Amino acid sequence: MLDSRRAQRYRRHDLIDWFSQEQVSAARVAVIGAGAVGNEVVKNLALLGCGTIDVFDFDTVELHNLTRSILLRESDAGRNKAEAVAERARDIDPHVAVRAVPGDFWDTLSLGRLQQYDCAVAAVDNFEARLRLNQLCLIARVDMVNAGLDSRWAAVESFPFGASGATACYECTLPESAYARVAERYSCGGLRRRASLERRIPTTAVTASVAGALAASTALRLGGEAPSQAQRRLLDTIGGAGSAVAIGRRGGCPGCGTFERPPLVVRIRNRWTTLHGDAGSAGTAVGDQPLQLSDALITGYECAACGPLAEAMQYVNRRATTFDDAIATCPRCTAPAVRIEIRDTFTVAELVSRFGSGRVPAKFALAEINGGAVCFDLEETPGS
Amino acid sequence: MTQSLKLYVRTADQTRRAELDLDSASTGADIIQAAVDNWALPADTDYTLVNTTTGRALAPGDDLAKGVRPGDMLEVQPVLVAG
Repeated sequence: MLDSRRAQRYRRHDLIDWFSQEQVSAARVAVIGAGAVGNEVVKNLALLGCGTIDVFDFDTVELHNLTRSILLRESDAGRNKAEAVAERARDIDPHVAVRAVPGDFWDTLSLGRLQQYDCAVAAVDNFEARLRLNQLCLIARVDMVNAGLDSRWAAVESFPFGASGATACYECTLPESAYARVAERYSCGGLRRRASLERRIPTTAVTASVAGALAASTALRLGGEAPSQAQRRLLDTIGGAGSAVAIGRRGGCPGCGTFERPPLVVRIRNRWTTLHGDAGSAGTAVGDQPLQLSDALITGYECAACGPLAEAMQYVNRRATTFDDAIATCPRCTAPAVRIEIRDTFTVAELVSRFGSGRVPAKFALAEINGGAVCFDLEETPGS
Repeated sequence: MTQSLKLYVRTADQTRRAELDLDSASTGADIIQAAVDNWALPADTDYTLVNTTTGRALAPGDDLAKGVRPGDMLEVQPVLVAG
């Protein structure tokens, strides 16, 4: 039961026959991205009295954000977006638990934490982040709502991974051109390209508010049962026309096609000398089969002209995405002649020999064991 | 065996529309590329194709025989990436 002050706040909601305040107040939503859409999503969730809202963003507030971000003020310039947005959302409704999680969600949102949410909203501004969140939600079996916009259109897609292991994913209708744009920013090995230009897509407060409202409504499943299949809704914020279509699963999809059904998630200590024991106790003993890590690692660094380099120590056994392609220039002869080996697939024996009892810099590792997919969640909870 | 398919294609804002006679082995990606080229749609945007007659999105690499029937209306929709 809601206490009397909260009950008064939500009294108008109670007049809506299809609206359950108790259900909304129990909802736990992760909002990834605190830009224009993220602001609108958080605002709507807070106004509706959503129980828990966690806001993830690494970015800081700039003045040009203020034309589209309802929760940000000029005095927030330079602050972390997630912190500024969470603070304003708490002002909207102190009964709502709003937490800021500064930093890249790939580093801050573990599979275990993700599984505590009913839904994750992708309010990000690039394909890479959507691909990554799609992968996490697919594995964790947590519903994902994806919101996107430009200066005219607002799109919201829902992927009910929690309801069905056989639902389509974000990649099922993603065109090849989207992967080409990702490739413009990263080399095939995963190093960032220095020369890539970031696309600036103009948006307005109008498209952001339409997308944010629809995304919040979809995340909370307002007005109905959870959808059983993926859907896309596209709205023209000028003409008012809209469409809603079902998204079917694509055979050979690079996202969900990896697994016939979502993998079994097994949390283990990221200490590789003990993997056999930990994983074995979960009935998922790993032998010599390959483990595919969530992150590609640099495994070799040597100049074709100068040979082995002392600088290799800075790069080898670290995530490739940490670095850009400047490291392909040899620090000794200054020629772009460094051979960089990057891999994401290893055996346990290789990991033990590379990392000893240290942590492997990856979120998770996927393996095929006894005919089924298993995901080893490598992220340790504090104090573990 | 492929066959000829007569269908309609339009943009999401419905300002462009065409009647096409296509081989059923054509893919959604082929139609999108033709729309971008012929209608001079912004090349810095990515597109996807939906069948508005059946209310289903089409996978980009699938051939039309998989999800399109004669007379269906296909819509070229932008893939929105800003947030």
